[in-house]
Amino acid sequence: MVLAFFKGNSGDGNFDHIVSKAVGMLGDARHSFDLATLALLADTDPTAVADDIRSTDQRINEAEQELRSELVVHVSVQGNADIGSVLGFTLLLKKIERVGDQAKNILELAENGVNLADSPEVEELLADRQTASNFFAEAADLLGGPDADDDAIAEYGLRVNAMADELQAKIDDFMTSDRPGREVVPLAIYYRYLRRIVANLLGVVRTSAEPLPHVDYLEGGTVDTDD
Amino acid sequence: MSRIPGPVRSAIVVGLIYIFLVGVSSLEAGIKIMGEDTQERLFSAASNPIAALCIGILGTVLVQSSSASTSVIVGLVASGALGVDDAVPMVMGANIGTTVTNTLVSLGHIRQSNEFRRAFAAATVHDFFNVLAVAVLLPIELIFGLISNTAKAISERLVGASGTEWKSPVKAWVKEPVGWLKDLWEAAGTSGNVQGVLMVLTGLVIILAALTLITKNMRALVADRVERSVNALLSRGGGAIALLLGLVITIAVQSSSITTSILIPLAGAGVISLRNAYPVTLGANVGTTITALLASLAASSPESLTVALAHTTFNIAGILLLYALPFARDVPVKAAEALAAVAVERRTAAVAYVAVAFIILPLVGVAVLG
Repeated sequence: MVLAFFKGNSGDGNFDHIVSKAVGMLGDARHSFDLATLALLADTDPTAVADDIRSTDQRINEAEQELRSELVVHVSVQGNADIGSVLGFTLLLKKIERVGDQAKNILELAENGVNLADSPEVEELLADRQTASNFFAEAADLLGGPDADDDAIAEYGLRVNAMADELQAKIDDFMTSDRPGREVVPLAIYYRYLRRIVANLLGVVRTSAEPLPHVDYLEGGTVDTDD
Repeated sequence: MSRIPGPVRSAIVVGLIYIFLVGVSSLEAGIKIMGEDTQERLFSAASNPIAALCIGILGTVLVQSSSASTSVIVGLVASGALGVDDAVPMVMGANIGTTVTNTLVSLGHIRQSNEFRRAFAAATVHDFFNVLAVAVLLPIELIFGLISNTAKAISERLVGASGTEWKSPVKAWVKEPVGWLKDLWEAAGTSGNVQGVLMVLTGLVIILAALTLITKNMRALVADRVERSVNALLSRGGGAIALLLGLVITIAVQSSSITTSILIPLAGAGVISLRNAYPVTLGANVGTTITALLASLAASSPESLTVALAHTTFNIAGILLLYALPFARDVPVKAAEALAAVAVERRTAAVAYVAVAFIILPLVGVAVLG
């Protein structure tokens, strides 16, 4: 570590390293989400993927802890000039960590015996799964891109919000549905997790461009998609 | 400041080091201008080692930099106004005084109990180590002259015996600007003690300003490297390597206070443990002695180098006694943890500790023994 001092400047003063690791964490979170939803929506045995999902979640948690340490070091060493970015990254990392937890929550649904492979909505569920999985990749691209592309972020936000609204509408419908509880309760819980996941992905993307976002909070709570 | 290109900033630092050396030489010249009677009156208090220790603490607390205070001590020794034996307790006091900065930084965490406990312990472990090192090594120094004799032996091998004139090349480089300062005060109509005092004051201002700017520029130059090294430290733990890291960072930024103050928020946030932060502060203790060694290059007597080396020797001896020996290693850590526990229960105790340890006790020491 003493030798680390004498190595050439690698631009630790900027946040490239943090961004790169955050993109890696998003990749891990997507992996967990894909496996957990397979266990819930297809015939994959939950026990076959549980260890992988839990160890991936552990890796995400460790990366979050390590990066938050690095952000504290950054402020201690460099002063508070970057405090806005540091706060933004802290929030962003927390959101990715939550996505990892929510993927684990989906696995827990499957471990509790829920399987939606025979549900009448399975085609729709698999399509939503694919859309959400693609949102991970898009979030990683937007986060790891050279500069914040406001138009691309806005367009991404529109699509994510549309899906979140659609999921919320389905959850609301289940509240008054005539279908048996054993059918709609697992579906409602899964939609809730899915909605939180996509909302957090949007939070990651927005936080990367704007550390202290206004959009979700300051309109009387009417557009608060953050979870 | 942050937009200055690296090579330009490096050149600025070199220029500032030169100005710093001019300041040290100006201080030496000012003291020499004063008569022997004045010198005797000014520095008689330092003949008592405890009073000298207290002067070292107070002087360093005042300027918040042991680099500055030890450079002044080196200048005083170079002028002949202060003997090596009187200066050694002073540099030991400077070691204690410099820890006030990070202790003050830790008080910034006072509103959050757990954070404050960790931050205050990380700050005071440095205090306890330095106080214990003085408690053990000052009596040994007074009885056997261990530190000063070791430093003299090294100094003699490097530049010659005490009492001789050392033809430092650096001294020759700074002679001319010091002559300009003297001419300036002569042109202002001063002479004798007044001129001497003005030369000393000019030297002090130059030393403090130059060191402040050197530290600021060096910090900007090496901040990324420091950040990378601290991250490496966090992932790999403490020990001797952490000690070396503290040494390297402090030499680079020319300030132990910067190094140790970086650790306080990290300790407060729980990012670094007390046991891993502790060796970094010890490395900082040794690293900060580089400034006095640098200052001695602008002085004309081997004694000034001896005092600078005594500062280094004292800190290395302290590490060998209190850190290398396993049974002693935990003493400052446990003392710091115990004091932090008290400070969390009674926040006023923390403030009282700073006031008593760094101001009241040294003042009483100087008043009674000086």
